[in-house]
Formats: sequence, structure tokens, C-alpha cells
Amino acid sequence: MMKRILIVDDEPHVIRILRVALERAGYEIESAHHGESALDKIRQQAPDLMITDIQMPRMDGKALCKQITKEFPDRVFPILVTTSRPEQEHRIWSAEIQNLFFVEKPISTQQLIESLAQGFDKHDRDEE
Amino acid sequence: MIIRAIQSMWKNERIGLIMVCSSLLIMCLVIGLLLKFQQQTSYKQIRSQGVSLAQLLASMPLTQLVPETGSQHVLQLIRDSSDHSTFAYAVVVDAANQPLTQTAAAGVIIPPTHVSKEPVNWLGERELRLQGNGKKILEFYSPLISDGELAGHIRLGFFQPRFGFGIQELPFIATVALLVFLLTPLSYLLIKHEVKPIRSINRQLDGLLSEGIFNTVKIQASGELGVFMQRFNDFFDYAKNRIDELEEQKTGLLTSTKLLSYKRARVEAVLESLPEAIMVLDESENIMYANTKLTSIFDKPLSELIGERINQFCDNGELLTLISLSGSNRIAKAAAEAVEFSPVSSPEKTIRVMAYPLFSPGDEQGTFGTMVAFRDVTQEITVKKSHTEFIAHVSHELKTPLNTLAMYSEQLLGDDVTDKTFRTEAINVIHDEVERITTLVNNLLNLTKFEIGGMTIDKKRTRLLDLLKDVFEIVSRNTRGSDHVFTQNLPKELSAISIDKSLLSIAITNLLTNAIKYSHPDGRITLAAEETDYSIIIRVSDNGIGISDEDKSRIFEKFYRATSEGVISQPGHGLGLPLVKQIVTLHRGKLSVKSMPGEGSEFTIELAKDAGLLAEAV
Repeated sequence: MMKRILIVDDEPHVIRILRVALERAGYEIESAHHGESALDKIRQQAPDLMITDIQMPRMDGKALCKQITKEFPDRVFPILVTTSRPEQEHRIWSAEIQNLFFVEKPISTQQLIESLAQGFDKHDRDEE
Repeated sequence: MIIRAIQSMWKNERIGLIMVCSSLLIMCLVIGLLLKFQQQTSYKQIRSQGVSLAQLLASMPLTQLVPETGSQHVLQLIRDSSDHSTFAYAVVVDAANQPLTQTAAAGVIIPPTHVSKEPVNWLGERELRLQGNGKKILEFYSPLISDGELAGHIRLGFFQPRFGFGIQELPFIATVALLVFLLTPLSYLLIKHEVKPIRSINRQLDGLLSEGIFNTVKIQASGELGVFMQRFNDFFDYAKNRIDELEEQKTGLLTSTKLLSYKRARVEAVLESLPEAIMVLDESENIMYANTKLTSIFDKPLSELIGERINQFCDNGELLTLISLSGSNRIAKAAAEAVEFSPVSSPEKTIRVMAYPLFSPGDEQGTFGTMVAFRDVTQEITVKKSHTEFIAHVSHELKTPLNTLAMYSEQLLGDDVTDKTFRTEAINVIHDEVERITTLVNNLLNLTKFEIGGMTIDKKRTRLLDLLKDVFEIVSRNTRGSDHVFTQNLPKELSAISIDKSLLSIAITNLLTNAIKYSHPDGRITLAAEETDYSIIIRVSDNGIGISDEDKSRIFEKFYRATSEGVISQPGHGLGLPLVKQIVTLHRGKLSVKSMPGEGSEFTIELAKDAGLLAEAV
């Protein structure tokens, strides 16, 4: 079954390129321009993975993650946060929110696809 | 009148009066003593005479004492030979006290007496009083013995000497009185003469005291008074020198005090003019000095701060610890630590407090208090914060297109990319993003130039109508493949105006680009202009998404972007409108906006014609 990935970013170009690359890699892509719209989509159907930016209007990435943790305490899907300073961000909020990963900007779509494949494989093996 | 005369005399001639009174008293005393002595002498004489006479008569036979009638009477002889002033009577009585013979001075009645039968009482003397005139009599009596038997008594009476003097003593008394009387004025004159130098001193001292000048008292005196006056003058000289010394010291002290207060005023003026609020504490943390800026920090008048302990009106633990550490000299001389706090009265402010121990001059270890400086760092912190925010914004705005570029180029480089449509799309995106970066960098550079004052405005007489038409043409041409309707509402002629052509082009371009970005795909964009007597008004309007009231007040802030869907979906970095604002301000023009969400917006630039002409003339 195709894995569903939710991409949250205020940059339409970023969504567009990720969509192109990930769809080619065999994933089903949903997208949202800000946190509020992403929350609506998760409430309808939880994705298998969420990729989000931090700086966004209305609801930023951190507020979105907190809200998800609050609304879905038993969340199983991992969250990938894209940031230009992953180490600092990791220090700041990894303790608060579980199952959270940081991806350094600019994102290499090739590397991202490889990591996702490994991650999902491991996840699937664990479940089996 | 008399009383007043006496009072006057008592005041001026007190010594004289005392001397007259005392001389009179002495006179009376001397005369009294003389009379008393005379009385005692007479008494002794009478007694000696009476006793010896009584004994003599007692030894005589009774027959001789009591002679026959007609013969010489012994008692008669005694009376005649005695002093008439003293002799009273002489009588011979028998054992039964019956008078046998008697004789008496004229007018004297012999008092009847009783002689005791007891032999021990036969001899003696006694005092009696005469019947009639009651004169005092001194009687001497002695027994008459005949054949071993008591035959009778002989009694001799004498008048007791009286206190007083007789006429014969008057010259003597008068002489004594005269002597005393003459001595009195003499003594008075002598005393007055001796007292004269003292009076002179008094007069001179009165003069000195009333004039307040200390000079040596001049006096001609000898003896003890001369020595005393010499000493007095020596003391006077010493006192005068001492007073002069004290005067000098006083002048010195006054000068020092004035100098000190001048120095203090100068130091206080310096402390007052400092931008910081200053407080000086003594070793017990009592406020010795505070400048007026401190009142706004603790919201109390200076009078309620000075003299108080700091912990009575400040409960900030960190601040109190800092002051206490500084006071106890545990903070190094050069590096005072600092704490930041917000005053209760104005919590929006941030005050940085530095405490400096005040070291005693000459003793590097000892402190005599603490100086505490309060600096309002609210603005610094705001500037620092906005600076940090600015850097973060710029980084983000630069990284976002770079990120997109990186991702698209990576995708293009991939071997499996065969989709021609995607390739075209990717190239367009890369083109747009590069343009975006260029615009961002240009806008940033321009804005920075404005902010650091490095932007030079190059005003020239320009045909504004041509400029507007050119800009409008370029913008509308660049809007590729859109259905926007572009309308020009420009007059046939506009006065030439003095402006910086390139800057104003940027402003109009930014307004037109925004109008396109934030209107619907088939939206209408209008560029209009009109001329009044004093100004030229340029309007850029659209029928797009509009601006909310909340956003209207912030759209000219750097990096501000509205959060509405229509704005977010468009690329942008919130620098276009701030730049327009700067450019219009630099032209001394007015920029305003009218807008209703969902209906569209109209931006107006008003440029004064006169200002341009004036600037050109200058």
C-alpha cells in the first residue's frame, strides 16, 4: 500500500518539487500551506509521515507539532522538520515532542527518498 | 521726690552713704561703750566705799555711833564728807531693827528693812528701791557687836550710778563725735580717690563693649590695682590675639566650606546630567545622594528616598544582593556586575543596574559606600531584538529561494528526469527564484542605505507623466499570461517636478507589483494621477483582496506580511512597502492607503510641487 506523506510548507515551490520527487519515488502526497490547514488534513486522515517547515504564517511548525501531540497523544507517524539549523532545533524541542526528526535545509530530495525508504522499511519490519 | 533723690544717691554715692551711716553707728557705739565703762567704774567705787565704810563703822562702839543729843554725829560727818550725788542715807538700827540714829540726803525716806537673825546674813549688801521716786539704792550693812552680843546693824545706802553722762562729760563726747564725723568724709574721699581708676576702667570697658573694638585699657594706677590692671591688660591682649586667631580660622573655614559646597555642587551637577539614575549608598546601605532620575525608577520623590535604606522601597532580591556584594567589597574595582530588572511602576521598561564600590582614597581595600547606576536599556534591548529579528528574517528570506533552487537543480541533475514539462517548470522556478533573490538583495541594500543615511537623492526636473507611463508599460508587459486589466487614468499634461527618477520608479513599480500580486487573476489595476495647485497626486489602485484594518497599520514595517491566505500564497518578503515609504518620505511627500478587505486597495503618493521647486532653487 502506498505510504501517505503530508508536506506542510508556505513555499509553493517547495511543495511542488517535493511532490514531484516523492510521487516519483512511489509515495502519495498531501500538502498544506500552514499549520492550521495541516491539522485539518490530519484530523480527516492521519498520514504515514509528515514533513513540515518551521517558519510559516498563521501556525508555525513548532505550534503545529505541539498541537498534534496534544490532539493525538498516541500518534505513530513520524514528523520530519526541515530547518537550516537542525542541531539547535533538536536541542530545543526534541525533549518535548517524541518521534521527531530534523532534516537540514536545503533538502536533498535524493537523500530524503533514501532515508524515507530505510525508515519505512525499519518501521514495517518492527511492526511485523 | 525725696525717695528718688535717695535712690539716685544710692546709685551714685553708695559708698558715701554707707560711710555716713557706719560712722554714725560707730559714734553711737563708742559713746555707749564709754558710758557703760563709766557706769561700771562708779559702781565699783561705790561698792568699795560702802563696804569699807560699813566695816569701819561696825568696828566702832555703839555709843560713838549713837551719841548723846547735841554732840557731833558720826553719821552726819559721813554724809557731809561723802559725794552728794551718790550718798543716800546712813542708819544705825538695834537688834530689833529699830533705828537708833540716822541721816539721809534731801528727799530720801529710809526704807525699813529687816535684818535676819541668822549670823550668816548679818553682813552684806542688797539692792533696794526708794519709796516715792523709786530710785535704785545699793545698801551695805554690817552687824554691831557689843559684848559678844548683836547690838544692832549699821546700814549705808548709796544711789546706784545711772547710765548717761553728765554735763561735764559733754566736751569729751563732742570731741569724739567730731573726730569720727571728720574722719568719715576723709575716708570717703580717700576711697573715692582709690576707686577712681576702676571707674575709669568701667567707662573704657563700656566704650569698648558698645563699639565692639578690643583695645588695651589705659589706666594710671599704682600698687595692687596697678598690678591688677597690668594683668588685666595682659589678659586683654591674650583674648584679643585669640579672637584674631579664631577670626582667621573662621574665615579659613568659611572659605573651605564655600569651596566644598562649590565642589559638591559641581559633582552633583555632573551626576545630575548623567543619563543614568544615580544613587550613592553609605556602608549601612542608606541613600546619601540620589539624582532626580532615580525618582522615576522607584516612583518616589527624592525626599522619600534620601536617608532611607534601599530595602525599604525595593524588594528585588537580585538587586539587593548586588548592592550588598558591592558594599562588602567582594566585587573587583574595575568589574562591577550588573543585574536587570523592571520597575514596578513601569514594567515595560528594562533597567540595567551596575554597582560600583567606592574605595577610600589611600586605602585600596577599604570602602566607604557604593554608587549604584540605573540605566534604562529598554531601547537598547528593543534595538538588539529587532536587529536579531532582522538578521533572522533576512536569513530566512534568502534561504527559502536558495532552498528551492537547490532542490530544483538537484532534481534537474538527476538522470531519471525525462519529463519535459517539469524541466520547463523547473527552469521557470529557478528564474523566478533568482529574480526574487535579486529583488530582495536590491530592496535590502536600498533600505539599508536609507537607514544608515547613505542614500543620496538625486533630484532633477522630470516629466512625471513620462515616468509613470514607462513604469506602467514595463510592469504590465512583465505580467506574462495573466488576465489582469491595466488601466491608465493619466492627465494629458503634468507639470515637471523635481524628483529622483530612479527612486520614484522603484516606488511606483513596487505599488503596481503589489497590486498585481494581491488581486485576482482577472483583477483591474489602475494607475492614476492628478495635479492640484500645490501638488501632484499619484494613485495605484486594484480591486483585489484588500487589507484589514489591523494590517493597514503594519504593512509599512519591515518584513511584515499579512497572514491572510491571499498574501501567504504569494511570494514576498515584506520589504516592498517599507521601501516605498522611505522613498516618499525622502521626497517629503505623503503616502497613504485606503482599503477594504475583499474590495481592493488604493495607495496614494502626494508630492508637493513647491517643495520640488524650492529644492531646485536652493
